[in-house]
Amino acid sequence: MNIILKGWSAYTRMTARWPGIAAIVPFIPVVLLWTAVSEAGVFPRAFFPGPGDVVRSFFTLTYKGILPDYLQDSLIRLITGAAVGMALGIPLGILIGTSRWAHRACWPILLFFQAIGDIAWLPILLIWFGFGLTTMTFVIVYTVLFPVVLNTVLGVESVPRDLARAARSLGASRARVLWEVTLPGALPNIITGLRNGLGYGWRALIAVEIIVGTSGIGFMMFDARRAGSTVEIILGMIILGLLWYIVDAWILAPIERATGKRWGLVTS
Amino acid sequence: MLVMPSQKIRPRWMTRGFSSIAGAAMFVAPLLVLVILWAIVIPLFQINPRVFPSVGAVGTAAIDSIRDGTLINHVGASLLRVGLGTLLGVVTAVPLGIAMGVSPAVSTFLTPLFRFFSVLAGIAWIPIATLWFGYGFGAIIFVIFNAVFFVVAYNTLLGVSTIPYSLRNAAASLGAGRWALLTQVLLPGALPNIVTGIRTGLGFAWRGLIAAEMIATNVGLGYMLFVARDFYRTEVIVLGMIVIGLLWLLIDRLLLVPLERSTIERWGMVRRA
Repeated sequence: MNIILKGWSAYTRMTARWPGIAAIVPFIPVVLLWTAVSEAGVFPRAFFPGPGDVVRSFFTLTYKGILPDYLQDSLIRLITGAAVGMALGIPLGILIGTSRWAHRACWPILLFFQAIGDIAWLPILLIWFGFGLTTMTFVIVYTVLFPVVLNTVLGVESVPRDLARAARSLGASRARVLWEVTLPGALPNIITGLRNGLGYGWRALIAVEIIVGTSGIGFMMFDARRAGSTVEIILGMIILGLLWYIVDAWILAPIERATGKRWGLVTS
Repeated sequence: MLVMPSQKIRPRWMTRGFSSIAGAAMFVAPLLVLVILWAIVIPLFQINPRVFPSVGAVGTAAIDSIRDGTLINHVGASLLRVGLGTLLGVVTAVPLGIAMGVSPAVSTFLTPLFRFFSVLAGIAWIPIATLWFGYGFGAIIFVIFNAVFFVVAYNTLLGVSTIPYSLRNAAASLGAGRWALLTQVLLPGALPNIVTGIRTGLGFAWRGLIAAEMIATNVGLGYMLFVARDFYRTEVIVLGMIVIGLLWLLIDRLLLVPLERSTIERWGMVRRA
């Protein structure tokens, strides 16, 4: 018991110094358990490969150059979609947030189209654009757009009217109020929207790659499914999880926290 | 502020009823405008029904599919899957989340794991689910269960670990046993987070369902859409999209949002403390 406690306290001290450890160590027992189950042969090897097989397939696929190519394709699609979605979503959100009429006219439509969901668009998009890049980009833009718009509207509305009025009475032009009051005030919400949107977009990308399927991580997984090779499916899942974990925890969450802190005064 | 006399005279239920009807009208009006626009544009530009259907075609498709029972069949299958998967997910995730959240050491240790798996929630499980369970009911339930389970468990864990220690100590020092602590402090305190988790998880599950039905089954809304694509029956596709949108809007606005609001209002005190 004493040893366990000592070990635990050493662990907490270590995680306090290097927070990265806290994100890695919990996975060790999972991997060990996984190894044990696959080695014990509870499930047939073909259905339930061990960690060793997955690592091996990672190296062979990287060596063949398939994995880097697919990863690049997926990431480029996601980034393009996110960029276009933001470029459309933020101005639209600000327009809807600042004008009451635009809000009344657009809000129900936005909610309805958000409810339809990205993947339900796939069949008709396939008829319009065929199996290709346009279809994929459309779906991702669509997925990213709605969380960004809805959160931008919320953010713009959360900026107290008095601040805008104060800036106006001090002689700021409308454009300047927009640039220096509304936009910074809405920024934390915009980032939250982007984070949600990317979360949904990421999943949509996988679904689209599975169904439309020419390249990408989702395609790799489904191609492996057709061939019945579980190893590559699991490899794909791990890569997806890791990538999103890195993007979310190390890029998006800090940005969100930073804007929240920076502009905390405005929103509260 | 002055109270208007007219406001005082009217009984409360009347104004509320009126305002909700007016609100509903305000909500429906833009959608109606959209439908009217749709009805005008299609014949005006003589758009090929293979590209986009007319309002009438979608209407007849709706009536036909309701009459021969296929629409009800597909909707029923989809709702049954979502309902069953969600129920399974919530029933297993909440106790697990609470059990893990009780000890701060365990919860900080396990948080990265659950974050990792809640990232994978839903669609990423489709390939392996179809391999393990074959195409059909089992695979889809598994996908939905996964989407709901990890998100709800993670949120429950968060909810329990944010309950202030002073509340737990206070209850314990007033003589609350383990059971009372669980049912009167931990569970209610985590409830807003649990409900938020269910809402997010269901959002992922719903998308996952549509995707899974396109890939892995022979009944359900996603399947209906995907088969219609093979025959270029855009009116069925658009009908399906409208049904999917309306269903989710109903589930979200009439079930999840009020649930979320009422738990946060009811237990607002606990979270602020």
